[in-house]
Amino acid sequence: MRTRVAIVGSGPGGATAAMVLAEAGLDVVVFEKGANFFTDLTSERPGTVFSNDELKDDRSFAEPDSIAEPRVFRTSPSDSNPFVGAVQSLPQTVGGGAVHWDAKTPRYWDIDFQKLSLLGPLPGAAVEDWPFTYDEIAPHYDAVEALIGVQGDVASLPELTLRHAPRSGNFPMPPGPPQYSSLLAAKGARSVGLHPFPAAMAINSVPYAGRPACNDCGFCSGYGCPILARIGALAPLRRALLAGAEVRERSVVVRVGHQGRKVDGVLVMREGGGYYREHFDAVVLAGNAIESSRLALLSELPDPYGTTGRYVMFHWFTDASGLFFSERLHAYRGRDHTHDIDDFADPDFPGARAAAREAGLPYFRAGKVEMGGTDRPLGEAHQYLEILPVLSPRKPFGVPFKKLMRASLLRDRLLGLTLMGEDLPYATNRVDLDPSVRDWRGHPVARITYSPGRYELAAQAFYLPWLVKLLDGAGADVSIAIPQDPSKTFPIGASPVIDTEHVMGGMRMGTNPRTSVTDGTGRHHQLDNLFVADGSVFPTSGGHNPTLTIMATALRNSRQWARSL
Amino acid sequence: MSAISRRQVLQRGSSASLAGLAMLLPPELLRRPGERAPAAARRRVAGEEHWLVFTRHEAAVVREATARLIPGPYDDPAERGHPGAREADVVRFIDTMLGCLDHSPQKVFAGGPFSNRAGWPVDDMAQFIGLTSSQAYGWRIRLAAWRQAYRAGVVALDDLTGGDFTRATDTERDRALAENPNGFTTLLFGHAVDGMYSVPEYGGNRGLVGWKDISFPGDVQPRGYTASEVSRSDGPDPYDPEGPGKALVDLIRLSNER
Repeated sequence: MRTRVAIVGSGPGGATAAMVLAEAGLDVVVFEKGANFFTDLTSERPGTVFSNDELKDDRSFAEPDSIAEPRVFRTSPSDSNPFVGAVQSLPQTVGGGAVHWDAKTPRYWDIDFQKLSLLGPLPGAAVEDWPFTYDEIAPHYDAVEALIGVQGDVASLPELTLRHAPRSGNFPMPPGPPQYSSLLAAKGARSVGLHPFPAAMAINSVPYAGRPACNDCGFCSGYGCPILARIGALAPLRRALLAGAEVRERSVVVRVGHQGRKVDGVLVMREGGGYYREHFDAVVLAGNAIESSRLALLSELPDPYGTTGRYVMFHWFTDASGLFFSERLHAYRGRDHTHDIDDFADPDFPGARAAAREAGLPYFRAGKVEMGGTDRPLGEAHQYLEILPVLSPRKPFGVPFKKLMRASLLRDRLLGLTLMGEDLPYATNRVDLDPSVRDWRGHPVARITYSPGRYELAAQAFYLPWLVKLLDGAGADVSIAIPQDPSKTFPIGASPVIDTEHVMGGMRMGTNPRTSVTDGTGRHHQLDNLFVADGSVFPTSGGHNPTLTIMATALRNSRQWARSL
Repeated sequence: MSAISRRQVLQRGSSASLAGLAMLLPPELLRRPGERAPAAARRRVAGEEHWLVFTRHEAAVVREATARLIPGPYDDPAERGHPGAREADVVRFIDTMLGCLDHSPQKVFAGGPFSNRAGWPVDDMAQFIGLTSSQAYGWRIRLAAWRQAYRAGVVALDDLTGGDFTRATDTERDRALAENPNGFTTLLFGHAVDGMYSVPEYGGNRGLVGWKDISFPGDVQPRGYTASEVSRSDGPDPYDPEGPGKALVDLIRLSNER
């Protein structure tokens, strides 16, 4: 009998682990809670029902239904008004988070993997080194970039980026067409001494691996790719299937069985109702940082130090918008945005050390800035609905609304920047089970307790004016940077929860079982045959999009698991 | 909206999607701007008098109320040449939405990958995708609440306008909507927006009038955009902020000063 492995979740981490373990000859079953919206997953280019349809996305086509499967969010244990609903919802479907992304795939930096030893401790935060260095993960980055097809240009990367994330070679594909909005932003960035470059992204700029080049339809971030120019997790999943793995969609793992230091199988709920138990020799959790922590807690996995679900991290997003009165920027065409800057991820950015000291911190970093995005018509219209009572108190509808839609200040004339700030690991930021709210199946939902610390807020405050300067340099007639802060400083765009879909931590890797859940390879400290393959193993968050690092880490770790199973 | 951007939209459409727009437009829109449409024509714009969920009166109130929220040429003289919720058939969209679970497959998620508006021979979007058990659970609860809100909301709008919203003057209608009885105007406006600017397979955005009015090309697969369309300016399109646009700009400037 071959060794049987259950993988819970078919997203980037789970699919990568499935590929490695199936190709190593193990009998792999991938359980996916959501539905499969692709045809033959063993073909190079499966068909799909994802489309250019904003309402479908608004209705959470591929994400958990907010009524049937809510989460709870609170800012602290004493928060008297917790939010119940959609909280940091990632796609729940075959392919996971790599279905809805615009596939930006920067690498983490050397100082992310050795944050404690290279940058030092920070008050109140459990800063740690990762169990491996940049040099060790680099070949895995190369392998994942080739597997999913990444466009970029090594010659355009700033010295800063290459110093912290050196590359052995160029990207598998050249950059595709730059967006006009991103070019304006790049001009603005250069005008204030910053260093823009074409963003690395796992989107075909030329035909690659049997799939077509992207045609820049514009429904990118938040949407499944209708032409599969963006393959994501389906590339490793396909290889897993070709090596004999099975994918079971609409199959919810609700418990992981365990005894002593061993897990022995899973309890699965079928789509039509009813449960079954199935024996497995090993189990891999890959449901994402929130759902893997939830499943570990639901399963009452041994947790002698109460670390499960702790140190959860979300990138601290800050949005800025420049409005243009002279022309329309048509940022609805393209790949969400095409240019980034890395300057604000540098702890030695001019003035940053001094500002950090003023805030009582030895240093701070924010992260990369994505430049050139905008909204779509429904998103724009709903923003006006929110703000019309302020803009037009006597008549918050009718002609004023239609004038706003035609002028399109918040869509066609908008140049958007998104700063993703590094988020520190705090023991108080955590996922646990809500004592009363249950999903429609009757299982307790994840409750997220999260507040930013001094580090995130000080970095945001320092870089906010830079975002405005950049937009002014790009030629915007009026610019605004909106701090992400539940205190609601501007009457639109305020969210009751932290607005991010980058979720990390909760079952982090480390050598000390008192401050980590998994060991240096993502194996559970207390259970010899339980592994974790998603972003929950991240010890620190970095300041770049996490998915490439989730896949590279899953690749590195699962190669080691394969040798032991 | 400048002539330049409008022309480019129509040019792009000439290959497939928007070329036939004039033919798709309800004939009322081709009348001279500002001219009042005959009552029969106004009804025809809203489609057949067969409703999944609404009573005939509820449909009439929702049609007239959404036409105040997103007015067209017959609802406000300032909107000459600019179709609104009436022309986009938003009431049909809302009725379809409230009855979406009565279809098989349910009409919640339109299909894919393509419509037939950008060079694909068939409209895949017209083939809806059935719900998972989890989605069906959520939508049953969501719809029950919305149906009740519409029932009560129509009654409230009638009450606020002397018994029949559809017989009230525009001023009375606006006053009733501004009251936002139990949040109904907020709910209705949100749904009206969805019906105005979503893909027409959901029942609204009839003749693509919603997109046309805001110079949005809509879904463009499988054609996509050319590198030049992505990378180059469409040319000058000056906008002098006035009215609510100026209020928005002023608000941003004020917020920056704080």
